[in-house]
Amino acid sequence: MTAPKPISLRPSPAAGIFFYVACTLLALAFLFPLAWSTFTALKPAAEASASPANFWPSRLSLENFAYLVKYGAGIGRYVLNSLGVAALTVVGTIFLSVLAGYGFARFEFPGKSTWFLIVLTTLMIPFQSILTPLYILLRTIHLQNSLVGLGLVYITFQIPFSVYMMKNAFESVPRELEEAALLDGCSAWTLLVRVMMPVVMPAVITVGLFAFFASWNEFLAALIFMSDAEKFTLPVMLLNAQSGVFGSINWGAMQAGLAITMLPCAIIFLLLQRYYVSGLISGSVK
Amino acid sequence: MTPHTADLRLAPAPRRASTKGRWTGLMFILPCLIFVASFFMVPLAMTAWMSLNNWPLLGKPSFIGLRNYADLAADSTFWSSLWFTTKYTLLVTPAIFLVAFSMALLVQSKRKLVGLFRTLFFLPVVIGLGAASLLWIWLLNDQVGVFSAVLMRLGIVKEAVQWLGEPNTALASIIVMVVWKVSGFTMLLFLVGMQSITEDLYEAAKMDGAGWWASLWYITLPLLRRTFALALTISVIGSYLAFDQFFIMTRGGPQNSTITVVYWIYRAAFTYFKLGYASALSMVLLVILVVINLIQQFLLREPATRQVQTSYTGKEGVS
Amino acid sequence: MKRMTLAGLSIGLGLLSAGLYAHAQSAPSVTFWVRSADQGFVEPLVKAYNAKGGTQVKLTVIPQDDFVTKFATAVAGGAAPDIVAVDLVFLPAFAKSGEMTDLSALYKSLPYAKSLSPSHMRLATFENKVYGVPFSAESSVLIYNKDLFKKAGLDPNSPPKTWAQLETYAKKIRALGGDTYGYYFSGACAGCNIFTFAPLIWASGGDVLNAQGSAATLNTPQVKAALSLYKRLWDAGTIPAGSKTDSGTNFFSAFATGKIGMAGSGAFSIGTLKKDYPKLNFGVAPLPGQNGNSSSFAGGDVIGIPAGSKNVSAAQDFIKWALSPEVQVQQFAKNGSIPVRSDLASNQYSKLDPRYVTVSNLMTKGRTPYSFQYSELINDANGPWLGMIQDAVFGSGGVDAAVKKAQDRFTQILNSN
Repeated sequence: MTAPKPISLRPSPAAGIFFYVACTLLALAFLFPLAWSTFTALKPAAEASASPANFWPSRLSLENFAYLVKYGAGIGRYVLNSLGVAALTVVGTIFLSVLAGYGFARFEFPGKSTWFLIVLTTLMIPFQSILTPLYILLRTIHLQNSLVGLGLVYITFQIPFSVYMMKNAFESVPRELEEAALLDGCSAWTLLVRVMMPVVMPAVITVGLFAFFASWNEFLAALIFMSDAEKFTLPVMLLNAQSGVFGSINWGAMQAGLAITMLPCAIIFLLLQRYYVSGLISGSVK
Repeated sequence: MTPHTADLRLAPAPRRASTKGRWTGLMFILPCLIFVASFFMVPLAMTAWMSLNNWPLLGKPSFIGLRNYADLAADSTFWSSLWFTTKYTLLVTPAIFLVAFSMALLVQSKRKLVGLFRTLFFLPVVIGLGAASLLWIWLLNDQVGVFSAVLMRLGIVKEAVQWLGEPNTALASIIVMVVWKVSGFTMLLFLVGMQSITEDLYEAAKMDGAGWWASLWYITLPLLRRTFALALTISVIGSYLAFDQFFIMTRGGPQNSTITVVYWIYRAAFTYFKLGYASALSMVLLVILVVINLIQQFLLREPATRQVQTSYTGKEGVS
Repeated sequence: MKRMTLAGLSIGLGLLSAGLYAHAQSAPSVTFWVRSADQGFVEPLVKAYNAKGGTQVKLTVIPQDDFVTKFATAVAGGAAPDIVAVDLVFLPAFAKSGEMTDLSALYKSLPYAKSLSPSHMRLATFENKVYGVPFSAESSVLIYNKDLFKKAGLDPNSPPKTWAQLETYAKKIRALGGDTYGYYFSGACAGCNIFTFAPLIWASGGDVLNAQGSAATLNTPQVKAALSLYKRLWDAGTIPAGSKTDSGTNFFSAFATGKIGMAGSGAFSIGTLKKDYPKLNFGVAPLPGQNGNSSSFAGGDVIGIPAGSKNVSAAQDFIKWALSPEVQVQQFAKNGSIPVRSDLASNQYSKLDPRYVTVSNLMTKGRTPYSFQYSELINDANGPWLGMIQDAVFGSGGVDAAVKKAQDRFTQILNSN
């Protein structure tokens, strides 16, 4: 027979109210800047730059977006560039980090912890410090002014976090799974692909998501490495489009550009967040 | 019931300690090492070499040994940037952790809509620091920004506030922006850590009459130590390397009051065209970060996990 | 419906540009880099040139604030473009470090060489060799709101000619009350102030640097007097509070609100004001010196060929074309810019609006500081030029202390190379 729960264990209605009020306030605070930006992007250009800020536009308008579409080589080009680099970054990062994470998690080899430490050191140097040497390096191997070269650099900077995630994810896989497969006569490769991958898929998706966000939003390398305008990515175009003479800013265009930059990230995140959360769970638990 | 995470750490070493296993392991990590070596180690080595030269961006380099390092020691702006970056880190880290932890506590409950809230809290994390900086410049702008407009409408201020105009409000504004953007990620790390604490511990505590605060203090916090250490490491490194927000929002102003170390490195390289000097600064920064990291690892090292459970179990036995 | 059209438009544009790009590949091409501020007038230019057939010009627009970084890195890495249009103030440094191709022969071959903007040519010349020619012109002027003048009881056709008048007028306009202010300047923008504040110093007989650019001349009565003028304007409340933190964002838009009596600005504002703010009744005047006299910052871009370009003659063709009346009058002047050739200053378009003639003449007599460390000394947002103005005007330490600090820092930087 189960005794009724003592009073102190029952959640109080006051706690419930507090929960919803606090959460709603926080959610509004977090959401507001993004929502306001997108809302402003839909105002007519003159009203978007109104001073002081007006709260209710006279009408909704897509002219800010139209301005961006006509800008330079057309926004479609820049989106394609960004997508291309992001795709390369995601695929490359996943490939490298799954392999390396598995290697670090399940094998012993000389200097293992040293190698891992070296991989992690990549986190501690700011990109700005090695910008020029990287530029010269890329140029030497004819990958400067190439979106592929840009992608390779992005992959490199994603490696510490991604390998760390995958290593933890693989370490959390129960050994019984592997041992059963090995008893069936699996090679290491098949073991990885057929057996382990499905189990660590949430972590893989997390790694992919982060690689996408990093690549999609990165600006400095894209600006410095690309020489041709048609190879610029979205963030570079955004900076061009909203800056005018002597630092004047086209606010409407800026918001439209921000919307185009932010929305894909938000949407992809919303679609995949289920995996993302469980990915971090399997990734961080030790 | 999920096995406690400590068990996995005590699992026996993998069976494949044979030679075949050794090489296989290396093969797996080789592609990643190739990338790190090519696109990181090589440029890093070049930077180290450049730091020993007078290397103008335009022109011919010349070897000068450790002169750059001597100049660096005498560079007052470098030291104030180091101090400022430390100050910034000391301010922003507790802010992020406080907000993130509170949100994690809130979102941990199993009430309705908790998934939606969790998503919204996390949303700013995905949009990119550059975009976030531009967004907040706009929000804080005195002419077109909504913050000033709202404050004026409500009559709290008569004139638009120059958020980015005074050193203190500029720093505060940037901190608010960073907290807004980053807390969701730290919150998730905490959530993940909390998930692995078994319910039984809380149930048992409640049986003993422990209130909400006591179970937080004696169960949650100690068991989150590892998560906390990880989050702290990531956050501190990130704060020390802060650049984008200061570059975009204040350009080191007002009156040079918000110059971070990486911003100074960027200027040395790309405004003053002194690559050699910038490289020396970078090397020093790297050393500083490694030292900070070592200190952190030392201070946050795990005591044996079992102790927490034992002490609690002991108490239970007594009552 | 709109969304579909937009999507269709972008796809169409994408395909079109891909097609154009593919087509452009077949003809010989040269690469041309400009900064985003120039985009408005350069894009139609390049389109027109490409439409003539022959060598194709591939234009790349680079964010304003990062232009020098990107260009210098590219040059250092051996990936410089064939043609570059760069703010004239950077030419001395580029020329000195051997990053530009010698264009002396091209220059001498031009029949109108002598009427090319003198400031541009001075900055593009290094050790008697010419490394660039003028491309676009910009000069600084004082713009003033005629309606506000009338309201304040001032003669709308009589802009201030001395500092005393400037101060009086500013106070009178401020006295109109509300959010109407007498004067405006961008207090956190280094470039804006060398553009509009330095001429006040020049017109009073002073300067920022000596003629060779080898020493700073800040610790002089003229500089101190100019800073004191701004400080008095600020302390008297004739300048809006936002000016202190404006890094250039509101350089133009502040005056465009119609609530500012007078402000330093550039020739570009004439065209923009007429087009976008037709109701604003404004006049232009030279920037005044302390006791009469006037001066102006002669600015704009020079166009040159980075060293190592393999398409020098094709690049030179484009440059020559850019200096022709077809461009300087039919493109630039028509759209409200000033020609870089004084022999074209008085043209069919300038005749329509005398304000343009004023501005053109100002440019011919205008000045530009010559320095190999222009970025570090003057343009730097964290540098001593802007620091001096901010300390003197907004700070509490006084003008003398600010000037001394800047003079020392200038000297330190000048001696460190």
